[in-house]
Amino acid sequence: MKLNHVTAVLSLCFVLAFASTACQKSQTQTSENNTGTATEQQGTANVQVERVDLGKHVGNDNQVTEHAETFTPNETIYATVVTQGSATTAELKTRWTFQDGQVVDEVSRTIAPSGGAATEFHVSKPDGLPVGKYRVEVFLNGSPAATKEFEVKRA
Amino acid sequence: MAEPNRTPESSGEKPDFSNVRSGSSSTAPSPAQTENTYVVKKGDTLSKIAKDHYGDAKHWPKIFEANRDQIQDPDLIHPGQKLRLP
Repeated sequence: MKLNHVTAVLSLCFVLAFASTACQKSQTQTSENNTGTATEQQGTANVQVERVDLGKHVGNDNQVTEHAETFTPNETIYATVVTQGSATTAELKTRWTFQDGQVVDEVSRTIAPSGGAATEFHVSKPDGLPVGKYRVEVFLNGSPAATKEFEVKRA
Repeated sequence: MAEPNRTPESSGEKPDFSNVRSGSSSTAPSPAQTENTYVVKKGDTLSKIAKDHYGDAKHWPKIFEANRDQIQDPDLIHPGQKLRLP
Protein backbone atom coordinates (compact mmCIF):
# COMPACT_ATOMS: atom_id res chain seq x y z
CA MET A 1 0.00 0.00 0.00
CA LYS A 2 2.77 2.33 0.98
CA LEU A 3 4.57 1.29 -2.20
CA ASN A 4 1.54 2.23 -4.28
CA HIS A 5 1.45 5.63 -2.65
CA VAL A 6 5.12 6.27 -3.49
CA THR A 7 4.51 5.15 -7.08
CA ALA A 8 1.58 7.49 -7.37
CA VAL A 9 3.64 10.46 -6.10
CA LEU A 10 6.47 9.66 -8.51
CA SER A 11 4.02 9.37 -11.38
CA LEU A 12 2.52 12.73 -10.49
CA CYS A 13 5.98 14.33 -10.43
CA PHE A 14 6.76 12.81 -13.83
CA VAL A 15 3.54 14.16 -15.30
CA LEU A 16 4.22 17.64 -13.86
CA ALA A 17 7.78 17.63 -15.18
CA PHE A 18 6.58 16.64 -18.67
CA ALA A 19 3.89 19.29 -18.62
CA SER A 20 6.43 21.92 -17.58
CA THR A 21 8.75 21.00 -20.47
CA ALA A 22 5.88 21.06 -22.90
CA CYS A 23 4.86 24.45 -21.62
CA GLN A 24 8.39 25.84 -22.08
CA LYS A 25 8.45 24.46 -25.62
CA SER A 26 5.16 26.14 -26.32
CA GLN A 27 6.49 29.46 -25.01
CA THR A 28 9.55 29.18 -27.24
CA GLN A 29 7.43 28.57 -30.26
CA THR A 30 5.24 31.52 -29.42
CA SER A 31 8.30 33.72 -29.07
CA GLU A 32 9.59 32.59 -32.46
CA ASN A 33 6.24 33.31 -33.98
CA ASN A 34 6.23 36.78 -32.46
CA THR A 35 9.63 37.46 -33.96
CA GLY A 36 8.39 36.35 -37.34
CA THR A 37 5.37 38.57 -37.08
CA ALA A 38 7.51 41.58 -36.18
CA THR A 39 9.70 40.99 -39.21
CA GLU A 40 6.68 40.70 -41.41
CA GLN A 41 5.28 43.96 -40.08
CA GLN A 42 8.33 45.84 -41.30
CA GLY A 43 7.11 45.06 -44.80
CA THR A 44 10.47 45.48 -46.47
CA ALA A 45 12.78 43.20 -44.50
CA ASN A 46 12.10 40.27 -46.78
CA VAL A 47 13.50 41.97 -49.87
CA GLN A 48 17.16 41.61 -50.75
CA VAL A 49 19.31 42.80 -53.60
CA GLU A 50 20.60 39.68 -55.28
CA ARG A 51 22.87 41.34 -57.83
CA VAL A 52 23.40 44.37 -60.03
CA ASP A 53 24.15 43.96 -63.72
CA LEU A 54 25.60 46.68 -65.93
CA GLY A 55 25.09 46.75 -69.65
CA LYS A 56 24.21 48.55 -72.84
CA HIS A 57 20.77 47.09 -73.45
CA VAL A 58 17.96 45.46 -71.49
CA GLY A 59 15.21 43.14 -72.64
CA ASN A 60 11.51 43.33 -71.99
CA ASP A 61 12.13 41.54 -68.71
CA ASN A 62 14.56 44.34 -67.70
CA GLN A 63 17.44 41.87 -67.65
CA VAL A 64 20.67 43.11 -69.21
CA THR A 65 21.10 41.57 -72.64
CA GLU A 66 24.53 43.01 -73.38
CA HIS A 67 26.73 43.10 -70.31
CA ALA A 68 29.47 45.71 -70.19
CA GLU A 69 31.67 47.61 -67.80
CA THR A 70 33.16 49.90 -70.43
CA PHE A 71 31.03 52.30 -72.45
CA THR A 72 31.45 55.02 -75.03
CA PRO A 73 30.29 58.57 -74.23
CA ASN A 74 27.07 58.45 -76.23
CA GLU A 75 25.81 55.10 -75.03
CA THR A 76 23.04 54.65 -72.51
CA ILE A 77 24.24 52.86 -69.38
CA TYR A 78 21.83 50.45 -67.77
CA ALA A 79 22.04 49.06 -64.25
CA THR A 80 19.56 46.32 -63.54
CA VAL A 81 18.94 45.59 -59.88
CA VAL A 82 17.72 42.05 -59.33
CA THR A 83 15.85 41.60 -56.07
CA GLN A 84 14.36 38.62 -54.31
CA GLY A 85 11.55 38.62 -51.82
CA SER A 86 8.23 40.24 -51.28
CA ALA A 87 7.19 43.50 -49.70
CA THR A 88 4.32 45.89 -49.77
CA THR A 89 6.80 48.68 -50.43
CA ALA A 90 10.53 48.89 -51.00
CA GLU A 91 12.56 51.82 -52.27
CA LEU A 92 15.45 51.24 -54.63
CA LYS A 93 17.76 54.15 -55.33
CA THR A 94 20.79 54.47 -57.56
CA ARG A 95 23.40 57.15 -57.13
CA TRP A 96 25.72 57.64 -60.07
CA THR A 97 28.99 59.40 -59.34
CA PHE A 98 31.93 60.51 -61.42
CA GLN A 99 35.52 59.80 -60.47
CA ASP A 100 35.88 63.24 -58.86
CA GLY A 101 33.00 62.48 -56.52
CA GLN A 102 30.52 64.65 -58.38
CA VAL A 103 27.04 63.17 -58.34
CA VAL A 104 25.95 62.55 -61.92
CA ASP A 105 22.41 61.58 -61.07
CA GLU A 106 20.16 59.99 -58.48
CA VAL A 107 17.13 57.96 -59.42
CA SER A 108 14.76 56.17 -57.09
CA ARG A 109 11.90 53.83 -57.65
CA THR A 110 9.44 52.41 -55.18
CA ILE A 111 8.28 48.89 -55.88
CA ALA A 112 5.98 46.30 -54.36
CA PRO A 113 7.68 43.05 -55.39
CA SER A 114 6.24 39.60 -54.90
CA GLY A 115 9.13 37.27 -55.57
CA GLY A 116 11.96 37.97 -57.97
CA ALA A 117 12.01 41.34 -59.71
CA ALA A 118 14.28 43.22 -62.07
CA THR A 119 14.40 47.00 -61.84
CA GLU A 120 16.46 48.86 -64.42
CA PHE A 121 17.94 52.31 -64.00
CA HIS A 122 19.59 54.11 -66.86
CA VAL A 123 21.54 57.27 -67.56
CA SER A 124 22.75 58.97 -70.72
CA LYS A 125 23.95 62.38 -71.78
CA PRO A 126 22.94 63.89 -75.12
CA ASP A 127 26.32 65.52 -75.68
CA GLY A 128 28.22 62.53 -74.34
CA LEU A 129 29.32 61.45 -70.90
CA PRO A 130 32.80 62.66 -70.00
CA VAL A 131 35.39 59.92 -70.26
CA GLY A 132 36.55 58.58 -66.95
CA LYS A 133 35.60 56.23 -64.18
CA TYR A 134 32.18 56.10 -62.62
CA ARG A 135 30.43 54.31 -59.81
CA VAL A 136 26.81 53.41 -59.29
CA GLU A 137 25.67 52.73 -55.76
CA VAL A 138 22.42 50.91 -55.08
CA PHE A 139 20.43 51.58 -51.94
CA LEU A 140 17.57 49.50 -50.64
CA ASN A 141 15.33 51.44 -48.28
CA GLY A 142 18.13 53.90 -47.69
CA SER A 143 20.79 51.33 -46.86
CA PRO A 144 23.72 50.58 -49.19
CA ALA A 145 23.07 47.29 -50.95
CA ALA A 146 25.59 47.09 -53.81
CA THR A 147 28.16 49.06 -55.75
CA LYS A 148 29.36 48.69 -59.33
CA GLU A 149 32.09 50.54 -61.15
CA PHE A 150 32.40 51.22 -64.84
CA GLU A 151 34.38 53.33 -67.24
CA VAL A 152 33.55 55.59 -70.16
CA LYS A 153 36.16 55.61 -72.88
CA ARG A 154 36.40 57.31 -76.23
CA ALA A 155 34.81 55.41 -79.08
CA MET B 1 38.38 73.75 -81.87
CA ALA B 2 37.49 72.09 -78.59
CA GLU B 3 37.94 68.38 -78.46
CA PRO B 4 34.71 66.66 -77.46
CA ASN B 5 34.64 64.43 -74.39
CA ARG B 6 37.87 65.75 -72.98
CA THR B 7 38.85 64.34 -69.64
CA PRO B 8 38.30 66.77 -66.80
CA GLU B 9 41.94 66.33 -65.87
CA SER B 10 43.13 67.40 -69.30
CA SER B 11 40.86 70.42 -69.49
CA GLY B 12 41.02 71.45 -65.86
CA GLU B 13 37.25 71.99 -65.91
CA LYS B 14 34.66 70.33 -63.77
CA PRO B 15 32.41 68.21 -65.97
CA ASP B 16 28.84 69.36 -66.38
CA PHE B 17 26.22 66.70 -65.75
CA SER B 18 23.23 69.03 -65.73
CA ASN B 19 21.72 67.55 -68.88
CA VAL B 20 22.04 63.91 -67.91
CA ARG B 21 18.92 61.96 -68.74
CA SER B 22 17.81 59.14 -66.53
CA GLY B 23 14.92 56.86 -65.84
CA SER B 24 13.85 53.52 -64.48
CA SER B 25 11.34 50.74 -64.86
CA SER B 26 10.63 47.55 -62.99
CA THR B 27 9.00 44.19 -63.47
CA ALA B 28 7.58 44.68 -59.98
CA PRO B 29 4.46 46.79 -59.64
CA SER B 30 4.50 50.12 -57.90
CA PRO B 31 2.73 50.26 -54.56
CA ALA B 32 -0.67 51.86 -54.70
CA GLN B 33 -0.67 55.52 -53.82
CA THR B 34 3.11 55.66 -54.11
CA GLU B 35 5.04 57.93 -56.41
CA ASN B 36 8.61 57.94 -57.57
CA THR B 37 10.90 60.78 -56.66
CA TYR B 38 13.54 62.81 -58.43
CA VAL B 39 16.24 65.02 -56.97
CA VAL B 40 16.57 68.29 -58.87
CA LYS B 41 19.97 69.00 -60.39
CA LYS B 42 21.49 72.26 -61.54
CA GLY B 43 20.02 73.26 -64.88
CA ASP B 44 16.83 71.22 -64.50
CA THR B 45 13.44 72.55 -65.47
CA LEU B 46 10.06 70.94 -64.98
CA SER B 47 9.81 70.53 -68.76
CA LYS B 48 13.16 68.77 -68.92
CA ILE B 49 12.25 66.45 -66.06
CA ALA B 50 8.91 65.69 -67.71
CA LYS B 51 10.62 64.93 -70.99
CA ASP B 52 13.15 62.64 -69.32
CA HIS B 53 10.61 60.73 -67.25
CA TYR B 54 7.45 60.82 -69.35
CA GLY B 55 8.97 61.27 -72.78
CA ASP B 56 7.19 64.55 -73.39
CA ALA B 57 7.96 68.00 -71.94
CA LYS B 58 4.32 69.05 -72.04
CA HIS B 59 3.59 66.80 -69.06
CA TRP B 60 5.38 69.25 -66.73
CA PRO B 61 2.10 70.44 -65.12
CA LYS B 62 1.65 66.96 -63.63
CA ILE B 63 4.90 67.37 -61.72
CA PHE B 64 4.02 70.92 -60.75
CA GLU B 65 0.62 69.91 -59.39
CA ALA B 66 2.10 67.00 -57.44
CA ASN B 67 4.60 69.32 -55.78
CA ARG B 68 2.58 72.46 -55.14
CA ASP B 69 3.57 72.21 -51.50
CA GLN B 70 7.17 73.02 -52.39
CA ILE B 71 6.97 74.76 -55.77
CA GLN B 72 5.28 78.15 -55.93
CA ASP B 73 6.67 79.19 -59.32
CA PRO B 74 6.97 76.44 -61.96
CA ASP B 75 9.86 78.35 -63.51
CA LEU B 76 11.80 78.25 -60.26
CA ILE B 77 13.05 74.96 -58.85
CA HIS B 78 16.20 74.44 -56.88
CA PRO B 79 18.98 71.83 -56.95
CA GLY B 80 18.47 69.31 -54.18
CA GLN B 81 14.68 69.54 -54.14
CA LYS B 82 13.11 66.09 -53.98
CA LEU B 83 10.14 66.10 -56.32
CA ARG B 84 7.35 63.58 -56.46
CA LEU B 85 6.80 62.13 -59.92
CA PRO B 86 3.20 60.93 -60.17
